[in-house]
Amino acid sequence: MNFLTIFARNLRQGPQTEAFPLGPAFTPERLRGRIEFKAESCEGCRICERVCPANAIRFAKTPDGMTFDCWHNTCVFCGNCEFYCPTDAIHQTNDWDLTHVNADKFEMVEHGLIPNQKCADCGATALNTAPVIKNAKPPLSDAEYAELRARCPKCRAKYLKNRKVPS
Amino acid sequence: MGLIPDFKKIATRSPWLYRINAGSCNGCDVEMATTALIPRYDVERLGCQYCGSPKHADIVLISGPLTVRVKDAVLRMFDEIPEPKVTVAVGVCPISGGIFRESYAVLAPIDQYIPIDVNVPGCPPRPQAIIAGVAKAIEIWRERL
Repeated sequence: MNFLTIFARNLRQGPQTEAFPLGPAFTPERLRGRIEFKAESCEGCRICERVCPANAIRFAKTPDGMTFDCWHNTCVFCGNCEFYCPTDAIHQTNDWDLTHVNADKFEMVEHGLIPNQKCADCGATALNTAPVIKNAKPPLSDAEYAELRARCPKCRAKYLKNRKVPS
Repeated sequence: MGLIPDFKKIATRSPWLYRINAGSCNGCDVEMATTALIPRYDVERLGCQYCGSPKHADIVLISGPLTVRVKDAVLRMFDEIPEPKVTVAVGVCPISGGIFRESYAVLAPIDQYIPIDVNVPGCPPRPQAIIAGVAKAIEIWRERL
């Protein structure tokens, strides 16, 4: 009689096969897939380039600033870059469908640019990276953050040093 | 006379798959086996079936970064597959070398020895991604036939 219960259950539930090529696929929310880079929150520390086991991430200095490139065709989706990123500038999305024809092989790149800027204090050219404010006490307000961001690294250190700390 | 187009129509429904392991770590091979053997993914819905002989194959799935030792065997086997064939590179190893890139023991990327049509990156790719790659390969194969 056991087969009758199985038969009834199969009639009720339908096939277990995923409908994928004809319908949407089940995707876990935290699946490690395509990498996403937010240039505005990058600190420029380049730790992701260092910890990447497949050398998929490469930073390069150009006249416009510093470029970030992650080639998904050599990325092994280990998640080291996201784990070590101090400012959450790198995020792994759950987009897994990276299938492409061979002609598009070198276009599977996540590209980002950290632009150059002129320092608001001394006028020197420096990268517009996100400032390191983890240890700033008390925490910076939004206006202070914008002021800090507009400066070069040396002037940022000066700014933090001369900052009035209410006692 | 009228039979020949009908044969063509029937034949384009069911490409046979063949796997070549070019020095893979077996991760991608397990995912490929999963794609075919587990009813949850079931690549046979697309009319595909794994075959044991390269002479019966239409779509070739290659995994692994093409190690130096396995190169001759892979090229010999690839030549045995009749035209028209569509090649799918499964995993990042055949596409670029992945973490084995620039090693003395591997000859990746594989497309400098074998013409590749579809790439499925991932380490290993999900079974759904392999199915998507096979679906893309079937489209290319129908154009070629």
